[in-house]
Parts: sequence; C-alpha cells; structure tokens
Amino acid sequence: MDLKKYFQFIIKYNTVFIFLIMLVVSALVSDVFFTSANLFNLVRQVTPVGIISMGMLLVILTGGIDLSVGSVVAMVGVLCALLTQTISLPLAITASLACGLLVGSLSGYLVSVHKLAPFIATLALMSVVRGLGFIFSKGAPILVSENASVLTDFGSGSFLGFPNPAFVLVIIFAITVVILKYNVFGRIIIAIGSNEEAVRLSGIKVSAYKFIVYTIVGGLSAVAGIITTARTAVGSPVMGAGMELDVIATVVIGGASLSGGKGSAVYTLLGVLILGMIGNIMNLLNIPAYSQQVIKGMIIIFAVLLQRFQTDKK
Amino acid sequence: MNRVELRNISKSFGGIAALKNVTFKVIPGEIHALVGENGAGKSTLMKILSGAYTKDTGQIFIDDTEVQIRNTHDSRKLGIGIIYQEFSLVPDLLVAENIFLNKLGSTGFWMKWAKMNRKAEELINSIGFSINPFSKAGDLSIAEQQIVEIAKALSEEVRVLILDEPSAVLGSQEIKKLFDTLKRLKKEGVAIIYISHHLSEVFQIADRITVLKDGTSSGSLMASETDRNSVIKLMLGRSLDTMFPLRDSIIGKEVLKAVDISQEGKVTGVSLAVKEGEILGIAGLVGSGRSETVRAIFTADKLEKGRIFLSGKELQLRSPYKAVKMGIGMVPEDRKKHGVILSLSVKENISLTNFKEITDQFGFIKAKKESNNTKDLIKRLTIKVENEYQEVSKLSGGNQQKVALAKWLNRNCKVMIIDEPTRGVDIGAKVEIYNLINELSQKGVAIIVISSETSELMGICDRIIVMRKGEIQGELTKQEFSEEEILRLSLGLSENVAAGKSFPWMN
Repeated sequence: MDLKKYFQFIIKYNTVFIFLIMLVVSALVSDVFFTSANLFNLVRQVTPVGIISMGMLLVILTGGIDLSVGSVVAMVGVLCALLTQTISLPLAITASLACGLLVGSLSGYLVSVHKLAPFIATLALMSVVRGLGFIFSKGAPILVSENASVLTDFGSGSFLGFPNPAFVLVIIFAITVVILKYNVFGRIIIAIGSNEEAVRLSGIKVSAYKFIVYTIVGGLSAVAGIITTARTAVGSPVMGAGMELDVIATVVIGGASLSGGKGSAVYTLLGVLILGMIGNIMNLLNIPAYSQQVIKGMIIIFAVLLQRFQTDKK
Repeated sequence: MNRVELRNISKSFGGIAALKNVTFKVIPGEIHALVGENGAGKSTLMKILSGAYTKDTGQIFIDDTEVQIRNTHDSRKLGIGIIYQEFSLVPDLLVAENIFLNKLGSTGFWMKWAKMNRKAEELINSIGFSINPFSKAGDLSIAEQQIVEIAKALSEEVRVLILDEPSAVLGSQEIKKLFDTLKRLKKEGVAIIYISHHLSEVFQIADRITVLKDGTSSGSLMASETDRNSVIKLMLGRSLDTMFPLRDSIIGKEVLKAVDISQEGKVTGVSLAVKEGEILGIAGLVGSGRSETVRAIFTADKLEKGRIFLSGKELQLRSPYKAVKMGIGMVPEDRKKHGVILSLSVKENISLTNFKEITDQFGFIKAKKESNNTKDLIKRLTIKVENEYQEVSKLSGGNQQKVALAKWLNRNCKVMIIDEPTRGVDIGAKVEIYNLINELSQKGVAIIVISSETSELMGICDRIIVMRKGEIQGELTKQEFSEEEILRLSLGLSENVAAGKSFPWMN
C-alpha cells in the first residue's frame, strides 16, 4: 500500500523527479557537471529555448502549436545583425522585435480569423520565414557591427555569476507564472484550451485571445533570436534549425497536454532544464552528436510515457 | 430464472459511496425501468453491469451463474448491450462503420462495403427508421445519432439491453417507434433495462420499476400495481405538491424583437418578440429549428438573414461577444459540450461570463471577491458542491445545469435564452430550476425557454410558439395551452386528427 502511494506520488510529480534524477545522474557520471563554468554554460545554452517555451506554453494551452519559432529566431537574428550595420542599436532591436511580432501576428491571424489548423499555418510560415532569413543574409552569416558592442557585451557578459540573457528568461518566466495564475488572460487561455466553444458562447472573444498568444510567441522568438545573435555576434540563417521541436518537447516534458487546457510555467521551465541537461551531459561525456539525438528522443518518450500513466490512472 | 442479478453491489468514488449494497434483478422478456434522481446511482449501476466500471464488492449473475465483468469486452461477450446517455459514435465515420465498429477488425483484409451497408440499413429499418448508412455519423441530428446508437447495440446478439435515458433527445413519434422495437425485443426474450426521468414513459413501457435513492434501492414495484405519485414519493422521499411556480410577474415593455430570421435549410422567416418579465416558450419536435432560431438570435451561429432589436434599437450582432455585451445570455442545449467546461472548477466556470466584476484594470483577479461571488451563487442556486474549487465534471447533471445557469445570473442580462433547461435533470432540481426562472422573470428579465417537454413549457411559460420545419406553426396564449394542440401544431396536422385519439402513446 505504502509502495503504491510512493509510486503515485512519483507519477504525479514526474517532471520534478525526472529533473532530480537528471541532476543526480549528471553529478555521478561527470566530475565537471557541477562546476560553475559548466552550469554557466548550461544556463546560457537553454536560455533561448526557455524564453520561447513560455510563449509556446501559452499557445499549447489554447490547444494550438507554433512550428515557426526556429525560423523566426534565424530571420530575426540575421535582421538584427544586418540592421546594426545601418541604423542605431535601439532602432535595430525595435525593428527586429517588430518583425517577430509581425510573423506571430500573421500566424495568429491565419489561425483565429481564417480558422486554419495551427499546425498547417505555422508549418507554412516556418518555411517562408526560414527562406526570408536566407534571402536577407544571402545565405551567409552576418556579423554584428562593431558599433553595436553594447549588444554583444550584453550577450556574452554576466552579472552576479549568471549570464546576462538568463535574467531575460527569469523575467519572462516570472511574468508567465503570474499571468497564468493571477490574471484573467491566463484563465481565459486555459479555458479556451479546455472547451473553446463553451468559452465563445460565454461571450468571450476567443479569436482575439488566440491572435494574442501567437503574437506573443512570435515576439519571444524574436527576443531569443536577438539574444543568440548578441551572444555569438553573428546572425546566421541556419540558427534555430529544429528548435521548434526542442521548444515543444520542453513544454510536453513539463506535463502540458497538446490538446490544450493543461500545463504549467514552472514545470515547463523544469522541462527546459531537463532537455538542456540531457544535451549538456552528453557533451561532457563526448557522446557523438548523432547518438545524442537518439538518446534525447528516447528520454522524451520515457518522460511522456510517465505522464500517460498518470492520465490513464484517472 | 433471472437473466441478470446484481447482488449487494457497492461502489465508491474517492471515498464517496455511489452505490450501497444494491440488489437488482431482471427476468428475460421483461422491461425493467430504473428510476431515481440524478446522482442516485442509476448510471453507475449500469456501468458496472456493462463493464465500464468495476464493482467494489458484490456479485453479478447472468442466467443464475456468477460472472466476472472486468471490462466492456467481458460484458459484450455475455450478450449485454448498452446505449449510453453520452453518445459513443465516431463522428467522422460512416453510419455503417459505426454500427459495426466492434467487428471492423475481424472481417479480414478487405472491407465488405456492400454487405456492411445492407446489414446496417436492415438494422435501422428493423427499428422503424431510415437513415442513409453512407452518411457521416457527425452529420446526423442528435435524434438520428441516438437511432444509430440503438442499431449499434442491436447489431450483436443481445440478451440484456440497457438504455440510459434514450428518449431525452427523441421526439414523440420517434419514441413510439423505439417502444415498438423494445416490445418486439421483449417478445424475443431479451431482458431490457430502461433508465429514464420521464415517469409517463416509464409507465407506458415498463413491467417493473426499481427506484434508486442515494445509492440504495428503495424498492421494486410492478408497474401495474403502482402509480406515478408513489414512485415520485420513493424517488424524493416526499411527495411532490406542485412542480411549477405561480406565474405572477408583471409583463412590461417589449425587450427583444427578432424579425424574419432565416438560416439556410434550418429556419425560414421566423419573427418573435419577448417582453419584460415574460417567459416565452418555443415548442416543436427535434429538428424543427427551435435551437437554430435562438442560436441565430444570440449569433452563436452566423445570422444569415434577419434583424434583431433590443428595446427598439436594432443590433448589429456578429458574435456572442456582442450579444452578451448588449445583455443577452444563452444557456445552450448541449450542457456538457457548450454550457459548462467540465475540466474546470465551479468557480472558473461561473466567472467566465463576468470578469469585469472581479478583476482590476490590469486584468488581475481579485481572489477574495471571486470566491465570495461564487459562494453567493452556489448558495442562491443550492448547487451541491464540496466547495467552489470542485471540478464541474464531478457534479451530477442537475448541478452542472445549475452551474450553466449561475454563469448568467452572474451578469444582469436583459434577455435570457434557455435551451432545454432541465434535460437529464432530476425532479428535485427541476423544481428548483423552474423557481429560478420564475424569479428571474419577476425581476423583469425577458426569457425564452425551449423544451421538448410540453408539460414543462405549459407550466412555466406565459406564451408558447410552436415551430415545425423551421417555421412558426402557431402561437398559443396561456388560456389556449393544451398538450394536444401543441402536438398537433408541431406535427403540422389538421385539427380533427388531433381531436381523435390518434396518439395513444401520449396518454
């Protein structure tokens, strides 16, 4: 009986357990893992995915999905680098952000007004935006202008021992937590994912909320793109390839349901760290990149199976 | 010999006993009605028999041999067929595919379309209906879906047939055909268990009646040896004096006027008006365009043609958002799909219609205010809940309906449209809902009620419009109310037909 209770407890908090297991395993198999240099590196690596995952969580909560995020990272990264060469830094950042918001609002428009399936609409935009990134950059990586050293300093620098961009993630995470728990916006988004028609018949403008969540995820992808460019001082059209899958995986590992209505910002952040640790520890162990993909995929399946167990129990 | 014997069955959900030592027997060739208020345990008992739930304690006997029913597969092998209250059809599959869904895997590699369709058609015809086996299940009306459900259950050799509220969505003619089928099956020796809230139906069809109350059996009676009032007494533990409240609200100025509403293929040129404090009923068979008319007024569906006036001013409605803003509220027909969000709490459901009251200018929810607001409504509607955080899916049908109503009481609407206010709701809750609707009208709200239960409309309305095939067939004032007249208008018959006893099943 007691054993059963423990088991149920583990199933219920599976994300936390997987996180703890990853921590322990990482510490055991590598001496380097718990060094500040490695942890610094880990945090820096997961920041872009983490930032986008908060927006993706909102979209997934409404029952949607956005596949265009990786492409937006690349296009915005390229644009931002290009713009630093011609206009002032604040303007360049504003314009880059605006581009991300624009792509997001386009997805939102197609999904909410024209009722396109989110998968299809954002799959098409994923291709369009990736192509635009290549067109803007003519296929080559673009260097950030030396006049924009404020940007690159921020991207590569640290504060209180944490990489600067991590603070952006923390702020966005905090806002997401608060919105989902205390704000009517979060409440309505969860309600939409649970039963869209019932929400509409309650007199709520469902399409407006859907439009907004896609716009948000577009904007956050732009933030991630700018941060990546800031860190590397290069905007490359191949950045963020396959990133959409990582972002979706983190949200799913965090226990969200792809049919909407269920998910949490805290667990999503744990999902981000779990996915980051998988990559990090395998790098430390010198596992070749191709094997890494296989192992990563298997761990995701394991995590989601644990959650299935929980829903089946009901 | 008993075909089915459930002996001392108990079942709890999370510490709450749903069934306590229930014993229930059905003999072959018998129609045995199972009645009781919502939450009395009828559906739970039947789900144990059909393998959807497993019992905690007790024994199940089929033909006097003890059997183990662990899942629906076990029960199907024993010849137990069940037609659920919630439909289990796959909307994207064809009618024939749905009927033979259980066997699709075992017919070999190739689909035998011709054979399957022919058999599906035969089955549907044998219960007195004709539905194209090639149509998609999702395109059928709710009544037709119910027919397909029945055909599906009969597609296998059944020895025990369970029907859970089969008539809730059927019109009176369809019910008659259903009853003919049941009588035929009864002659063939099938044991039939019939769950219903409609006592008039129960007395028409059942041989024996078992009453469940609060998870225990309060007795089995031969239908011929008892009457409606005794059964109600057993169900409620008290007798029912008057179901309907006294109508004495002051009827004022016209509030809502809809002119020439037309929806392609569903509604043709319907005009209606409701006054302050008035309750207008809309009667008609399933598919007569009742729901479509009010959905068009509320713009739940796009209003294709027609004009809507509120207090004399024309509204340009494009979505429920605007309608609600202008003071129109609607409790939709399908409670579980549209009325409430099952996976959210009572509080979250109720707040959905009126966030302005409980949020600050940045949209942050004032938790205390929200809780108090919800608690007030729970108390006012006597919703039975543990607390305001309980998930709506855990409530009984009657309490879910009260939540759907509470949502709109939360907002001071000028017009309330209530589609099927008491479908699948037990008698106790019905009376409470009638009182509530009456109370609203006394406060000056203009109310439109749609119902398949004629007695309900006659009990609470001031005026009734009867619809047929998308058009208004007639309008009755309170003095003109009669079940025969409403039925005559909904069937579109001439007067002398209705005067005779052409509808023996109505009595």
